[in-house]
Amino acid sequence: MTANATFEQRRRRVGLLFVLPALLVLAVVLGYPIVDSVALALQQVSLRSGVVQQSWVGLDNFRRLFADTTFQRAALNTAYFSSAEVVLVTVISLSIAILLNHPIGRFGIFRILLIVPWAIAPVANAVLWKWILHSNYGVLNGVLKALGVIDVYHVWLGTPASALNFLLLVDVWKSVPFVALLMLAGLQRVPNSLYRAAYMDGAGPWQSFLHVTLPTIRSVIAIAVVLQTIWSLRVFDIVFVLTRGGPADATVLLNFLAYRVTFNFLDLGYGSAIANVVFVLTVILAIVYVRLLWPRERRAG
Amino acid sequence: MSFVKRRHGGPFMRGFVIAGLIVFVLWSAGPVIWLVLSSLMEQQALIAQPPQVVPSSFTLDNFIQVLSAAAALGHGIFNSALVALFSTAVALAFGAPAAYALARLPVPRANNIAFLILATQMLPGIAIAIPLFIAMSKLGLIDSVLSLGFVYLSFNLPIVIWILRGFFMAIPVGIERAAAVDGAGVSATFWHIVLPISIPPMAAAAVFAFVEAWNEFFFALILTRQNAQTVPLVIAQFAGQYQTVFGQMMAAAVISVVPVIALAIVFRNQVVRGFADGMTKG
Amino acid sequence: MTAVELRNVSKSFGHHPVCRDVNLAVSEGDFVTLLGSSGCGKTTTLNMIAGLEDATAGDILMNGKRVNELSPVQRDVAMVFQNYALYPHMTVGQNIAFTLKMRRLSAAEIRARVEKVARSLELSALLDRLPAQLSGGQQQRVAIGRALVREPRIFLFDEPFSNLDAGLRVRMRAEVKELHQRLGVTSIFVTHDQEEAMSISDRIAVMNQGRVEQFGTPEEIYNRPNNRYVAAFIGNPRIELFPGTLSGGATSPVCRIGPIELQVAHRFLGCSGKVELGVRPEHVRLGDRGFPAIVRLVQPVGPATHVTIDWEGGSLTASLPGFVRFETGSPIHAEIDPDHFLIFDRETGQRL
Repeated sequence: MTANATFEQRRRRVGLLFVLPALLVLAVVLGYPIVDSVALALQQVSLRSGVVQQSWVGLDNFRRLFADTTFQRAALNTAYFSSAEVVLVTVISLSIAILLNHPIGRFGIFRILLIVPWAIAPVANAVLWKWILHSNYGVLNGVLKALGVIDVYHVWLGTPASALNFLLLVDVWKSVPFVALLMLAGLQRVPNSLYRAAYMDGAGPWQSFLHVTLPTIRSVIAIAVVLQTIWSLRVFDIVFVLTRGGPADATVLLNFLAYRVTFNFLDLGYGSAIANVVFVLTVILAIVYVRLLWPRERRAG
Repeated sequence: MSFVKRRHGGPFMRGFVIAGLIVFVLWSAGPVIWLVLSSLMEQQALIAQPPQVVPSSFTLDNFIQVLSAAAALGHGIFNSALVALFSTAVALAFGAPAAYALARLPVPRANNIAFLILATQMLPGIAIAIPLFIAMSKLGLIDSVLSLGFVYLSFNLPIVIWILRGFFMAIPVGIERAAAVDGAGVSATFWHIVLPISIPPMAAAAVFAFVEAWNEFFFALILTRQNAQTVPLVIAQFAGQYQTVFGQMMAAAVISVVPVIALAIVFRNQVVRGFADGMTKG
Repeated sequence: MTAVELRNVSKSFGHHPVCRDVNLAVSEGDFVTLLGSSGCGKTTTLNMIAGLEDATAGDILMNGKRVNELSPVQRDVAMVFQNYALYPHMTVGQNIAFTLKMRRLSAAEIRARVEKVARSLELSALLDRLPAQLSGGQQQRVAIGRALVREPRIFLFDEPFSNLDAGLRVRMRAEVKELHQRLGVTSIFVTHDQEEAMSISDRIAVMNQGRVEQFGTPEEIYNRPNNRYVAAFIGNPRIELFPGTLSGGATSPVCRIGPIELQVAHRFLGCSGKVELGVRPEHVRLGDRGFPAIVRLVQPVGPATHVTIDWEGGSLTASLPGFVRFETGSPIHAEIDPDHFLIFDRETGQRL
């Protein structure tokens, strides 16, 4: 760094240098594939004995996609799964966050209980629930029968509707901790002075929740909802381990379909097309996220 | 009624909260406890009808079997450790300066760049995986710990940058100015002043990154074969092949999650702070 | 010898101008204060002198040489910051030593210099403490020590005392002034507190909206303010200003405010027009002579009593020495020596 540059210029140069390695890695590992992914979707790509063969087919893959009943089924499954998951996760996380915000819930042990499920790998989680939901020996069946809730053991993952809903349960269980921690952080940032003012105005606990807590954490809830929606589109591990898409394609989500088409049927172009559809959906949601969060932030000159 | 009472409700509310907390504990801890218990039970106990919720005897047999049988799990742990450590360490090494530059230095369009980097977090893996797979196949990089490490690096960089940038933006400007007047250039300021006071958020970022890398399944599935298999793959195989040996299945799962859970618990304060900061700085 | 000179220096952030055409010449060994309310550009000017901000236009010279492109350390300046800006992870000793470490002095040399500075500021016992363990005053002394150890040509102070409570502030002020008298190093000080500026400076530059309104000694600024802004900014309690009309009069000039005619100094003979008449509270005498008024408020502050009176031209506050008693609502008369009036052109604000 010579001194012939002004203060600002020197800082700018070093700044660019600092950002370079990270940007390079991201450009190569993420940037290039994104661009290529669109290109692939417009091609017929097959893998024969380790050799990749590609030829351009324009929008054929997409046309096929929208006529494909399996794709339509997967889209419906995904729509249901995502919406249901977002609602469940948001409500449950908010409830947990509220409980932990109460003086009784202030102990560190509760936070550890949140961190543990968050840290468990989705695969390990799936394996665990595969065991819990086992039709013959799983503890869920055992406990429910013992409590008299059911007469015979159910094959929870054996029927279409049931399988999808239990997948939902498994992912909700795993996703709640993260969102709950986010909401807890949001709750704890509500200034005490607001509660005091409400108290002076005669508000009880329910009213202060309604009129102080909820409005203040509205943005936190909104962010959590959008993030959760984006993440629900990426669910893969539990489908792979628990159902492989069955029974009868009832648990095939868009993500999983793209994988299956690409790596089981070796139709890479078609798989890319499906992946792009998921990508576009995610981008739309991301824009919503940005609108919600960034208008407030302005970097000082 | 005192303010505190009014705010948090009287005895009725307390009862409600306690009930809620009990449900929460059962919901969160139940499955995990069952995971650990199952791994310590004998096969007969596991397939007993009706299922034994409270085991009569414990055994370490499952663990011994899992660890001694096909060195797959040990190999997987080794690979996972390598990949996770590599991607976390390099993410910190590349990400910390980048976060600082985007937070504090007059990089043109810094906000846009920061946003773009954060946005990569939202990419669905499948969109990137296929082109990556093709490119890596052509380059012969499939089934390599190093290439997997680089892929994970690209996921960990945004995490590190997100957490650290928020922290750096909150450092008082005066400290950097004082360093400049004291004769420290940008790099010297970063090294001597900024980094030493950033240990907690860096720890949080490291934990997040490590956990992400350790638990990652999808890309490991696609980009590795035998050599570079990571723990999640081994566990998935267990669930596929050894479907009937439940105790071992659970033991394998326990072994796979112990490292990250230990990490998360040891650094729980940093983790919780990481969430809080991530929230405020977006 | 001019230690620091600013020639037509301007600074804008994007389209937002912060400093406009600032001209300033600081003599070697002088203690100069940049005084103004927030947003007037004083801190930006200081930062430009330090080399922490680039000037958008203009030249910054030190000892006759243009330094716009030099880094702070190359300009041989040291700075004491608002909020102290001590490195929180380093001990007091390390904080002071950091700049020497950057200059790659030997460990022995560093230790010697740090100890010398610590002794002169009574910090020797605190060298191993962390900033968080120190009181506000101690932290401020460490900040000064960090600047001192550089033995710089120019000292810069950026509102260093605004975080301290009143008593401490006054004491630190005295310490800084004594330090300056002892060392004689050229110093530039930024503050919004006019009393602070008056008490420690050789010269004061009053700044307003990016411009220097007046640059002069405390006495010049107080008794001969260039314009209405400077007059109103300096002095506590504030100068009283009234719109009026100046006319020559037959033998002596008068200023008419409402129905009252007040005599003003002889030198205004021949002037006329719309003006603003200013008088400082300590120049108002209350008693039997002068124009009539009613006492509204009496506020004793110790060394003086502020008495607010309503008269036909409005209301004004007089400052009388000691404890004086007046009955609220009682009639009184106010008299002002003509020579004590400061007259400003009502439109331009310039002093006549």
